[in-house]
Amino acid sequence: MGLISGMLMGIVFGIALMAGWKHMMRYRSNKRIAKAVDIKSLSSLNRDDLKKICGENFPEWISFPVFEQVKWLNKQLSKLWPFVADAAEAIIKESVEPLLEEYRTPGITSIKFSKLSLGTVAPKIEGIRVQSLKKGQITMDIDLRWGGNPNIILAIEAALVASIPIQLKDLKVFTVVRAIFQLAEEIPCISAVVVALLAEPKPRIDYTLKAIGGSLTAIPGLSDMIDDTVNSIITDMLQWPHRIVVPIGGMPVDTSELELKPQGKLTVAVVRANNLKNKELIGKSDPYVVVYIRPLFKVKTKVIENNLNPVWNQTFELIVEDKETQSLILEVFDQDVGQDERLGVAKLPMIELEAEISKEIELRLLPSLDMLKIKDKKDRGTLTIQVLYHEFNKEEQLAALEEEKRILEERKKLKEAGVIGSTMDALDGAASLVGSGVGLVGSGLGAGAGIVGSGLGAFGSGLSKAGKFMGRTITGQSNASKRSGSSTPVNSVQENGGAKPL
Amino acid sequence: MSAMVGVLKLVIADDNVGVSTGLVIGYYLFIYFQPSDVKDPVIRPLVEHDSQSLQRLLPEIPLWVKNPDYDRIDWLNKFLELMWPYLDKAICKTAKNIAKPIIAEQIPKYKIESVEFEELTLGSLPPTFQGMKVFVTEEKELIMEPSLKWAGNPNVTLGVKAFGLKATVQAVDLQIFAQPRITLKPLVPSFPCFAKIFVSLMEKPHVDFGLKLFGADLMSIPGLYMFVQELIKDQVANMYLWPKTLEVEILDPTKAMMRPVGIVHVKVLRAMKLRKKDLLGGSDPYVKLKITESKAPSKKTTVKHKNLNPEWNEEFSIVVKDPESQALEFIVYDWEQVGKHDKMGMNVVPLKELTPNEPKVMTLDLLKNLNQNDAQDDKFRGQLVVELTYKPFKEGDTSKDLDNPLQKAPEGTPPSGGVLVVIVHEAQDVEGKHHTNPYVRIIFNGEERKTKHVKKNRDPRWDEEFTFVLEEPPLKEKLHVEVLSTSTRIGLLHPKETLGYVNISLADVVNNKRINEKYHLIDSKNGKIQIELQWRTSS
Repeated sequence: MGLISGMLMGIVFGIALMAGWKHMMRYRSNKRIAKAVDIKSLSSLNRDDLKKICGENFPEWISFPVFEQVKWLNKQLSKLWPFVADAAEAIIKESVEPLLEEYRTPGITSIKFSKLSLGTVAPKIEGIRVQSLKKGQITMDIDLRWGGNPNIILAIEAALVASIPIQLKDLKVFTVVRAIFQLAEEIPCISAVVVALLAEPKPRIDYTLKAIGGSLTAIPGLSDMIDDTVNSIITDMLQWPHRIVVPIGGMPVDTSELELKPQGKLTVAVVRANNLKNKELIGKSDPYVVVYIRPLFKVKTKVIENNLNPVWNQTFELIVEDKETQSLILEVFDQDVGQDERLGVAKLPMIELEAEISKEIELRLLPSLDMLKIKDKKDRGTLTIQVLYHEFNKEEQLAALEEEKRILEERKKLKEAGVIGSTMDALDGAASLVGSGVGLVGSGLGAGAGIVGSGLGAFGSGLSKAGKFMGRTITGQSNASKRSGSSTPVNSVQENGGAKPL
Repeated sequence: MSAMVGVLKLVIADDNVGVSTGLVIGYYLFIYFQPSDVKDPVIRPLVEHDSQSLQRLLPEIPLWVKNPDYDRIDWLNKFLELMWPYLDKAICKTAKNIAKPIIAEQIPKYKIESVEFEELTLGSLPPTFQGMKVFVTEEKELIMEPSLKWAGNPNVTLGVKAFGLKATVQAVDLQIFAQPRITLKPLVPSFPCFAKIFVSLMEKPHVDFGLKLFGADLMSIPGLYMFVQELIKDQVANMYLWPKTLEVEILDPTKAMMRPVGIVHVKVLRAMKLRKKDLLGGSDPYVKLKITESKAPSKKTTVKHKNLNPEWNEEFSIVVKDPESQALEFIVYDWEQVGKHDKMGMNVVPLKELTPNEPKVMTLDLLKNLNQNDAQDDKFRGQLVVELTYKPFKEGDTSKDLDNPLQKAPEGTPPSGGVLVVIVHEAQDVEGKHHTNPYVRIIFNGEERKTKHVKKNRDPRWDEEFTFVLEEPPLKEKLHVEVLSTSTRIGLLHPKETLGYVNISLADVVNNKRINEKYHLIDSKNGKIQIELQWRTSS
């Protein structure tokens, strides 16, 4: 009896002990989970949350801007800056010099840094915003401002002029840097970083140029040429949708998804212009149009002399890489002895176009694309174009990519030839480029004309010859491209703003 | 199973069969059938909370809300949150890979058949930063203190097999709250711009977790949790509680600092058969030598007039920072009375071609430039004969002074005295009425020293070092530091201006050995100057 009751008591005691333990377990587990939840929800507070928590005693020093402030990072950065500047100088020199070489305008034969020090003022990070716009990617926007005191001296060699040292002063950079981190399931969990400057708000890079021991006016158009070079680098390399892709972590990753790729093809017919402004003293303007999406691939119509209502009816094909953000730029120039003058510019955002629908559009010409700078509201006439956007399928895309690479190669060769060879060589080169049916011919002329710069005597005639020649080939060319159905991005050395030394 | 029951028996210290049976029944009744998987907690937006649950939140309010000196870093939290699923997988994979060989090595000792992870995940909740504070000091270091809270829901389940029985050990609900201090130092001029990371904890960290054996949470046995928590806290504190630190080296500091590692002695002997550059008479050659990757000014020999086979026999010593990559550059110039000096030829000698402490005579063919492909380069331009000796510093000479910025006085210092070192770092907000091209003049015991001029800068940086050898400690003396500006234009109007001065008494330096401070300048609006003083003695 005693045994059984003892047993029973024991069993009851044992069960009670276990039940107590279980209760304890549940209690503690709940407490931990509740705490985890609290901490999680406090990790990203917004104004309303904080209002609710603090009630009356809302701390006044707290604000919630879209771009979160990072005072601590700025403090650290300004302390670290002398060291960063030292370390970065060599890297910048190495990486930017080839860029300058690639994007320099034909009027400049060589551009190099002869001195580069980043100064004592650290950039300031105004704010940081983190978003997830696409699965597997983190998008970080950094609002960066730098009004520094760097000491940058460029050694520039222009055609027929010896090397001139030019100082870049009062450099100011205001931009939003977008970094996209591609996530991976291997440490360090980031397989690649995409860096670009956001196009909206537009990056602002201000500087003043000063020639050392001389005046900039000694070489007409030099400062424009430098501006052009800097501008092309920024808009064509860094500004969204263009981007720099940096693989991280040493393992080979497929970054092709992140790279900018040809997305489609835009067929532009430059039909005519009306009521252009007359810039010539004698007679009327001799207008031609430069058409591009990326400044690296500019094409050009023939020149129609002495006409303010010119009709070109020339067709070009351009590659579109990001329909959402890219725009078609059309610049009307007046061909002139010396520097060609811009009569007006028009912009057509690609997003306004629908695929596979041909459309005729009349665009108003503006003095500049930078709306802040426009002062005169005078009518500059209109430009009528016909556009057709075609979206690539996979095969076309690949073909276009190959084509683009090849043309860039060829353009490089042409440039080298242009630097070393004589005028006629360069023209021949341009002609043969046309003959091979690579790009639309305007490009051939552009390259030829740009390089001609040095030999002024032959220039005028050469140009008009090339113009006629081009006029002939244009038709054949467009037929050919229609037949092949392949896209042909177009190539040109930028020739606008190219000074022809007199 | 029997092992566990045995343990329980001991705990109760009773041999009663009934209790054992009861425990077993209770175990099956309450614990065994409990699900052991970890669920993701439901997180409601704060707006939906009622006042009671808000009350519970209050102690956990992030530091950046409470303290204005903490910065909010929610962007980092967001970044971490988005990255967390990937980090989770990556970390778990690495942890498994690391643990496997260790387990394989250890288990035979304990007669355990196998140990393996049945489940390993860090859960869905990422660590969060509840504020970031940085400290600014005058030293070359960055200090930051994030407030880190990780209340996660990880699930680590280990399956242990021994004596034919299988047991599972599960760790859940890990919570770590800590306030680490992260110091980056020394700062160096090559990326990532710091050489070492030091991490230490400012307070004992808070650690909490559940440890389940056969599904029963041992940590909820009253008393045991407290004990284990204290144990862990003390263990961690022993290792990392400030001033103890965890040190992670990122760069080799000697390399990164570009400290001198040796000296190369160069003897320029002679040149032979130089090619004539001047139209009339012979050339007037001299040699300019320089070391690459260095900002040190180049050195020149004397000019030998009208001589195409000049003999110099001149000696130079050049400081070497990296013998692997640096090279000596010799350029022979033709001296001219007027105008640009013509280059007669050049060559380079990479320092790695030299054997340390062994003189080497080299005959160098002079080239037009270093471009190998240049077609015009095949002309004979003469030869240059030099003798080179590379003398590396002895090991330990360089690394010692890195850890301790305070060096000993060199030999030959008077025994009762020492060396006073004055390092002028930088100034802030100095402003002249007419011009601001600041330089610093220091006067000590009538001796005057000057720094370089910095042109047009209100926040100049000099980083220049001056030394004074003294017979006695300067207990009563003062150091006069003055910031001046000279006009860049030649003219009689305002040639020179004082931007401010300060007198520093040196007794403190003798006692402290080293003082690195910012001093307010007298006769200046907001000007400040950072001066580092050191008192080096031979003992």
